[in-house]
Amino acid sequence: MATFVEQSINGLTIGSFYALVALGYSMVYGVMKLINFAHGDLFALGSYLGYTLLIAGSSWVTMHFGLWGGMTIAMLFAFVGVGLAGLLMERVAYRPVYPTGRLPLVVSALGMSIFLENGIMAIWGSRPQAYPAAVVPSTRFSILGLPVTSLQIVILLLSFTLMLVIWFIVEKTTFGAAIRATALDRSTATLMGIDVRVVIFFIFALGPALGGIAGVMNGMYYRAISFNMGWAYGLKAFTATILGGIGNIPGAMIGGILLGLMESLFAGYVSGAWKDVFVFVILIAVLIWRPTGLLGEKTAEKV
Amino acid sequence: MATLLATKNLVVNYGAVQALKGIDIELGEHDIVTVLGANGAGKTTLLKSISRIQTIKSGSIEFKGKDLATVPAFQLAALGVSHVPEGRRIFATLTTEENLNLGAYGVRNLPAGKELQKTKEWIFSLFPILKERRKQLAGTLSGGEQQMLAIGRGLISKPSVLLLDEPSLGLAPIIVQEIFRVIRQIHEEEGVSILLVEQNARKALSVARYGYILELGKVAIEGEACNLKDDERVRAAYLGGSKVSC
Amino acid sequence: MGITDSILKHAGSGRPSGKHPATFWSRNRGWLLLAITGALFAVYPFVPFISDYWIDVAFFVGIYALLGLSLNIVLGEVGLFDLGHTAFYAIGAYVTAILNTTLHVPIVVLLPLSAVVAGGFAYLVMSPVIHLKGDYLCIVTIGIGEIVRLTMINNPFNLTGGPNGINGIGSPNLFGLAVNSSTQFYFYTWIIIAVVVFGLVRLQRSRVGRAWNYIREDETAAEASGVDVRSYKLLAFVLGAALAGAAGNIYASKQMSISPGSFTFMESSLLFCIVLLGGLGSIPGSILGAAIVVVFPEVFRQFASYRLLFFGLALIVMMIFRPGGIWPRKREGAGLAGLGIQGLPRNEDDLILMGKPDASILKPATTDTVRGVRLPPMTVTMDEGMLLQTHGVTLKFGGLTAVNNFDLNVRAGKITSLIGPNGAGKTTLFNMITGIYKPTSGQIDFMGRDITTLKPHTIISYGIARTFQNIRLFPSLTCIENIMSGPHCHARSGTWAAVMHTVTEVREEREIVATAAYRLNQVGLWPYRDELARNLPYGKQRYLEIARALATAPHLLILDEPSSGLNDKESEDLMVLLQSLVKEGFTLLLIEHDMQVVMGISDWIAVMDMGQKIAEGLPRDVYNNQRVIEAYLGKEDD
Repeated sequence: MATFVEQSINGLTIGSFYALVALGYSMVYGVMKLINFAHGDLFALGSYLGYTLLIAGSSWVTMHFGLWGGMTIAMLFAFVGVGLAGLLMERVAYRPVYPTGRLPLVVSALGMSIFLENGIMAIWGSRPQAYPAAVVPSTRFSILGLPVTSLQIVILLLSFTLMLVIWFIVEKTTFGAAIRATALDRSTATLMGIDVRVVIFFIFALGPALGGIAGVMNGMYYRAISFNMGWAYGLKAFTATILGGIGNIPGAMIGGILLGLMESLFAGYVSGAWKDVFVFVILIAVLIWRPTGLLGEKTAEKV
Repeated sequence: MATLLATKNLVVNYGAVQALKGIDIELGEHDIVTVLGANGAGKTTLLKSISRIQTIKSGSIEFKGKDLATVPAFQLAALGVSHVPEGRRIFATLTTEENLNLGAYGVRNLPAGKELQKTKEWIFSLFPILKERRKQLAGTLSGGEQQMLAIGRGLISKPSVLLLDEPSLGLAPIIVQEIFRVIRQIHEEEGVSILLVEQNARKALSVARYGYILELGKVAIEGEACNLKDDERVRAAYLGGSKVSC
Repeated sequence: MGITDSILKHAGSGRPSGKHPATFWSRNRGWLLLAITGALFAVYPFVPFISDYWIDVAFFVGIYALLGLSLNIVLGEVGLFDLGHTAFYAIGAYVTAILNTTLHVPIVVLLPLSAVVAGGFAYLVMSPVIHLKGDYLCIVTIGIGEIVRLTMINNPFNLTGGPNGINGIGSPNLFGLAVNSSTQFYFYTWIIIAVVVFGLVRLQRSRVGRAWNYIREDETAAEASGVDVRSYKLLAFVLGAALAGAAGNIYASKQMSISPGSFTFMESSLLFCIVLLGGLGSIPGSILGAAIVVVFPEVFRQFASYRLLFFGLALIVMMIFRPGGIWPRKREGAGLAGLGIQGLPRNEDDLILMGKPDASILKPATTDTVRGVRLPPMTVTMDEGMLLQTHGVTLKFGGLTAVNNFDLNVRAGKITSLIGPNGAGKTTLFNMITGIYKPTSGQIDFMGRDITTLKPHTIISYGIARTFQNIRLFPSLTCIENIMSGPHCHARSGTWAAVMHTVTEVREEREIVATAAYRLNQVGLWPYRDELARNLPYGKQRYLEIARALATAPHLLILDEPSSGLNDKESEDLMVLLQSLVKEGFTLLLIEHDMQVVMGISDWIAVMDMGQKIAEGLPRDVYNNQRVIEAYLGKEDD
C-alpha cells in the first residue's frame, strides 16, 4: 500500500510535467497541424535556463529571495525565455515552411529539434548538470498520512492551475473561440476580423512557455538535467497528447496524468526497465480500441 | 447613386497565370450587383481580392473613398466589408452561436453585450432555425442551415457591403428561395449593399440591379440586370435554353 | 543515381518526340546515362585520392539509400507517416547477428531471411493499427521503434546482448568469394541497390505503385475507386520493412558488431529527412537524400560537436528553399511514355480506339467465375427489371436516425433521381449503397446479390461506381493517372508481376491505359491527359471524376450532385452527356438539386425528407405533389 501511494504521488507529479508539455503540443498542433518535435527540447531549454539562473553568482537569487522566491523567479525566467525561443522558432523555422505543406514542416521541426538539442550541448556541455540541493525546497510532511514533499504540492497545484487557466481561455473566452477558428480555417478566420498573427504569436509564446515552467519543475524534482532529456519528455508528451486525443485540451491533460501514473505504477510493481515498453503497448492498445484517442478528436465531418 | 465600392484595373496572378486581367466594377450605396461567368472566370478570386485574403498584383479597391489595397485583411470587417465565402466555410467544431459571435469579432466598437445580443436577435428573425440550433456544433447542421449561418455570421458585424459567393450552391430549391428572400430583405430593409456571385444566373439577375459577366479574368459584358437577361450572348453562354421573364 | 532516371527515360526512348529528329543520343540516352552512371560507380573506389575512409562513406551512403528507398515506399508512395522505420532495420540486423553468432547461419542466407523476418514483423504489428489516420499512425510507428529498441536493451532471454549488443558477426561469402574489404562491401551494397532500384522503378510505374499513390492522394476516393486500401497499405509496410531488414543485414555484416545505440529515434528521423530531402516518392531523390545526410556531417567533421547543429539548420533551410525536395518526381508533361507501359500504339490517338469498351475485358464479371475470381452466387431474387433495390434500409448515428426504413428501386437502363432537402439523408443512403457506411438494418440488393456488408472496393468491382458531392480526385496525379484508377479493380497483377513485367501484366496495363484514354476522350478531357488534376478548372474536375467512375465500366453509376457549381449552360451540357451514357447502356442514379436537370432527364424520382421516402413517381407527378412542394420545391416567385 505504501508503495502504491508513493508511486501514485510520484506518477501524478511526473504526469503533470507531461500534461504541461502535452498542452503546449496540443495548442501548437491545433493551429499549425504540426507535431512540433522541437517542443521537448524547449522543455529542456527551460530546465537549463532555470538552472543557470539559480546557480548564477553562487545562488544569488535564492540567497536574496529565499527558496520559494528563487523558484518563482527561475520559473518566470524560464517562462519568458522559452516563450521567446518559441516565438523565434515559429518565425525562423515554421512560418516560411508552413505554406508548402505538412511534410516539409515535419522535417523543419525535426531539424529544429536537432538544432536545439545540439545548441544546448554547445552552451552547457554534454555532461549532465544538477540543480544544487540548496535551491530546491525539500520539506517533507504528510497529509492524511500521505508522505509528500512541499515541492510536490507546489508542482501539482501550479500545474493544475495553469491547465485550468489555459482550458478556460481556449474553451470559454471569445479569444479562445478565435484560436479555435484559426485552427480550423485561417482564411475564413481572417474574414471574421481575427488577426491570425496575434493568435499564432499567443500560441507559440504560451505553449513553449508552459513547457519552460515544467522544465524548471522537472529540474527541481529530479535535480539532474542533461542536454538530450528533451527528446524523451517530448516523446512522452506527444504520447500523452495522442492518448487523450490530439488538439483536445482536456485530452492532453488527462493523457499526461494517466501516462505518468501508468508509468510510475508499472515501474514500482513490475519493472523499471520495461516501463516505456508498457506505455507504448498501452498507447497502441488504446488506439486500436479508440482510433482518435480517449476523448477523441472533435469532428463534425461528413463524407 | 453614390459609389460605395469600386475596383479599378484589378490584376491578380496565380503563379504565372493571370487570374484577373484588369477588372473594373462598381457597387453603389443601397445597391445589388451580381457577377456572373463560367467556372474559372475569376469571380471568386474577385471577391477574395476585395476582402484582401487574396493578394493582388496591381490595381485599386476603393471603399468609401479609401484604398483597401493597403489595409490588412482582418481589419475589413471593422470597416464594414463582410465576405460570405464560397462553400460556406463555417467553423464545424464550434457551436452555431460561437460562429455567430466570431462574425462580430473584428468590430471593436460594438459593445459586446446588448448591442451584439440585439443584432443576434435580428439574425434569428431572418433565420429562425438558427435560434433552435444555437447550441449545436455547426458541422452537424444541414447544408441549408450552414449557408444561413454563414450569411448570419457575415451580417452580424452590420456591414455596409456584403460580398456573397454562391449562396445557392448545392441547396434545395426551397432553401434557395429562402436565401434569396433574405437577400432581398436585408437589402430593402437594412440598406446593405450586396455584391453577389452566382452560378444560378436567372436568380441572380432577378434580384440584382446591375450585372457583370466575367470571361477569363475580364469583364466581357456588363449592363442593367434587366437588359442582360435579354442579351442573346448572355442567354447562349450562361442561361441555357430556358426562357427568363423580366 | 542516374540509374533510375535513365531507366525511366528508356521507357520512352523508342518514341522520339515529333519535332526533333531522332539522333543516336536521343534514341539511346537512357542506356548511355545508365552506362555512364555505372562506370562512375565502378571507377570510384579506384580513384587515387579516394581512401578506404571515403569508400566506407560511400558504403554508408548505400546503406542509407537502401533505407531511404525502403521508407520511400511507405512515406513517399503511400503517404503514411512512419517515424519508426528503424525498427525494421534493427530487426534485420539483430536477426542476422543472433543467427550468425549462435547458429552460424551464413550471412548470405541471412540476407533474404532478415528481409522476410522484418517484413513478417511489419505485417504482424501493423495489421491491427493500419487503419489509423495520419498522426495517430505516426505515434504508433514511433512507439514500435521504441519498443524494439528498448527490447534490445533489456536483453530478453539473453538474445540481444543488452546495451552492448552483439559482437563477432561474420562477413558475407558469395560462392567462395568473401566480402571483407571496404571496396568489396562497396560493390556488394551498390549492386544490391541497383537490383532494388530496378524493381522499385517498375513497381512505381505499375498498378501497385499507382494504387499506393491513389491512397496517398485521397484514401476515401481510392477505396471508392476500387483500391483495397488496407491491403495496399500493409503491402507497402511489408515491402518497406523487408528492404530495411536487408539493409540491417548488410550493416551488421560490415560492422561485425551491433548495438541498440544504432537504432534510435534519431535514425528514424534521419530516414524521414532523407525521403523529404530527396523528394516524396522519388527514387533518385531518396538516393541523393541519403548522400546528403551521410556526407554532410563528414564534410563538417572538423567542427566536431557543432556539425549536428549545422545539420539541423540545414534541414530547416532546405525546407524553406526546396520544400519539394532536390529531385522531386515530376508527373505532368511526361506524356504517356511517363507511365512506363510497354507496347502502346505509336500514335496516341490510336490508344483511344483501343480502349473502346467492347474490346476491353476489364469490367465487372457477369458470371459467377471470372478469371479465377469467385463471385458470390446470385442468391437474391429481385423485382423484374430492377438493377438495385434497397429494402427497409436504416442507419442510426447514436440517437439520430439518418435514414429510416428506405426502399429505393433503381430500374436498369434508366435514370433515377433522389431528391430532397439538404440533410435529408440522401448522401448517407449513397454511402450505404457504395459500402462506406453499413446500414443498421435493412438489405441492399444489386443484380441478384446481397451487397449490404461488402467493402467499397468490392462493391465497385461488382459494378457500382460513384462520384462525390465535393469532388474527390487525386490532385497531384495527372488526369490519365486519375482515370487509370477505374479499371484497377478488375485487374489482377500484383507486385511480382509488375517487377517482372509478365505478359499478363503488360497486357493488363495496356488495357488500363486504353480504357482510361477512351473515357478521358469521351468527356472531352483528352487534351488535358498530361496535366495534374488539381490544375483543372472546377467544371472540368467534375467531368474528370465522372470519367474515372465510367472507367470502372459500372453497371450502375451513382452521381452526387453532378451539376453543383455549374451554371445553367454547363448543366445543359452535362445533361447531354448523361443521356448519352444511358444510351450507351449505363444505369444512372443521381442526387440533384437543379430542377432543370432532374425534371429534364429523370425517368423516375424518389423524394426523401428526414430519412424517409415521402413520394416517388414520374417527374411531373412528383413536381406537382403537394408534400414535395412543401418540403422541398417551394413556390417559385420569380
